[in-house]
Amino acid sequence: MRGDDAAGLEVVRLWQERYLSSADRVKVEFSELPGLALLDSLAGKDAAILVDAVHSSASVGTVLRLGADELASFTPETAPSHGWGLAETLRFGFSIYPWLGKCRITLIGIVGGDFGLGARISPEVAIAISKAGEMVEREIQALNN
Amino acid sequence: MKTIEVSALARVEGEGGLYIGVKDNQVVEIRLDIYEPPRFFEGFLVGRFLQEVPDITARICGICPVAYQMSSVAALEKALGVEVGPQTYALRRLMYCGEYIESHALHIYLLQAPDLLGQPSALDLAAIAPDVVRNALRMKKIGNEILKAIGGRSVHPVNACVGGFYRWPDSSSLKALLPELEWGLEAAKETVRWSLTLPYPDLEIDYEFVAIHHPEEYGVMRGDVISSTGKKTSVADYEMRYFEEHVQRSNALHGHTANGGTYLVGPLARLNLNHAQLLPAAQAALSEAKLNLPLKNPYKSLIARAIELVNFYEESIQLINNYLPAGPAHAALVLKAGEGCGMSEAPRGLLYHRYKIDEQGKVTFAKIVPPTAQNLPRIEADLMVLAPKLIDMQQDLATITAEHLVRSYDPCISCATHFLNLRVENINGV
Repeated sequence: MRGDDAAGLEVVRLWQERYLSSADRVKVEFSELPGLALLDSLAGKDAAILVDAVHSSASVGTVLRLGADELASFTPETAPSHGWGLAETLRFGFSIYPWLGKCRITLIGIVGGDFGLGARISPEVAIAISKAGEMVEREIQALNN
Repeated sequence: MKTIEVSALARVEGEGGLYIGVKDNQVVEIRLDIYEPPRFFEGFLVGRFLQEVPDITARICGICPVAYQMSSVAALEKALGVEVGPQTYALRRLMYCGEYIESHALHIYLLQAPDLLGQPSALDLAAIAPDVVRNALRMKKIGNEILKAIGGRSVHPVNACVGGFYRWPDSSSLKALLPELEWGLEAAKETVRWSLTLPYPDLEIDYEFVAIHHPEEYGVMRGDVISSTGKKTSVADYEMRYFEEHVQRSNALHGHTANGGTYLVGPLARLNLNHAQLLPAAQAALSEAKLNLPLKNPYKSLIARAIELVNFYEESIQLINNYLPAGPAHAALVLKAGEGCGMSEAPRGLLYHRYKIDEQGKVTFAKIVPPTAQNLPRIEADLMVLAPKLIDMQQDLATITAEHLVRSYDPCISCATHFLNLRVENINGV
């Protein structure tokens, strides 16, 4: 419903279709507006790959790979529930949950442009989805090695 | 001339703009400018099938989706002449308990408490009191788990439908929540005790409190609308007593009583009007607190939320222990043209829906009045009381002070850390 905000969902769906053998061994969770509940999802995990639309000065459709400590430079892409966007949630989690520091967190971020209510995914982001799916698969393969 | 020009941004959950007009050292105008997406939802609900309405309206808010679902199903069931059975009602109450728990735990500890403790944010509070924050998240999580057990997920849960639920949740998945709920009940009692130690600013206002009231239960989903002035209004007559006005200067609709006055909905209103219907553990917490009711300090809505937390933890335990699903999960619907209104108490206050549907069950008209819209004029009026102090403050302190007051209402605009853009204009031009 919010244009490029659907990028994360579309990337993971494409990845699930294209990389079946990996998909069988990885737990996938779809979360719209997870907020602080993201921390519950990360509990007990050795690694997590988060896929989401991001807001950035880079051009729309750029696909970024970020570690958890790099997220602070990205503002929330839409109105997150009560301000708990990804960067804020992880920063918060690191301050209260020592176990979170042991989880390897990677963000595959797709730079969005139009997050308007009712908007469709922009053409630049639509093109980027395939590339982002490949990056997700490379991350999974790297974790397995 | 003291003017800081900041425009209001278009996120209900994110930001608002505050304007203060000063003339001859007197505050002559105060405006809280908010854009309001629910108006947009009313438009695109037209033409949708009635069973889509609960899940569409749930997306108006990520923190209180159940409130939108419950008000919408109540209104549409009224339009169809459908009455749900006691098990359905009980499960809806349980779903609402989950929402109250997660919303109130979030607001008490992570949104308002940092203000009262002089911390810029929950992140800073976590740095000095990590155990407090960890407990808060554990309390919030229990609420989310209830929603997940009933609705499949904690944000925008599904399963609620017009006529009941698409399926009965598994009893074992609900009973598995009991140990954490028992922990949460004790944690909620501690929350009340802790809330009484916080340093609340002095501010007492004679509000007209308005809430749903039922003689046999803490008013959330059925009953009449009562006011602290003694007025009692059926849900069907709500629009005759409480109006929404389009304010030209912003897209927000503001609520007013029929005689043009402001009123307050939310936890202060509920506690002040319905404390006799609290469950025993919450009654005991209230009694131990030795509060002078009615509470009239908007900052002390935190205490009201804490007492409600006890109530909803206790109610959750009772409802799960008594959960015995039987028969179809939802009533069969016979489609017909009709109109109905429904109301429930979202964690922030009264949420009213009215729908007209055609003989095929398609929505032809939708009206949604959220609690934040009803409270907006009252928030402005409270800011007017505070304004003489604000104009004497440095800009940063004035902004924080105004934000604290607005945040105590827990409106949907208080989500972002720095959500308020303050503009003070000296109309004299000096």
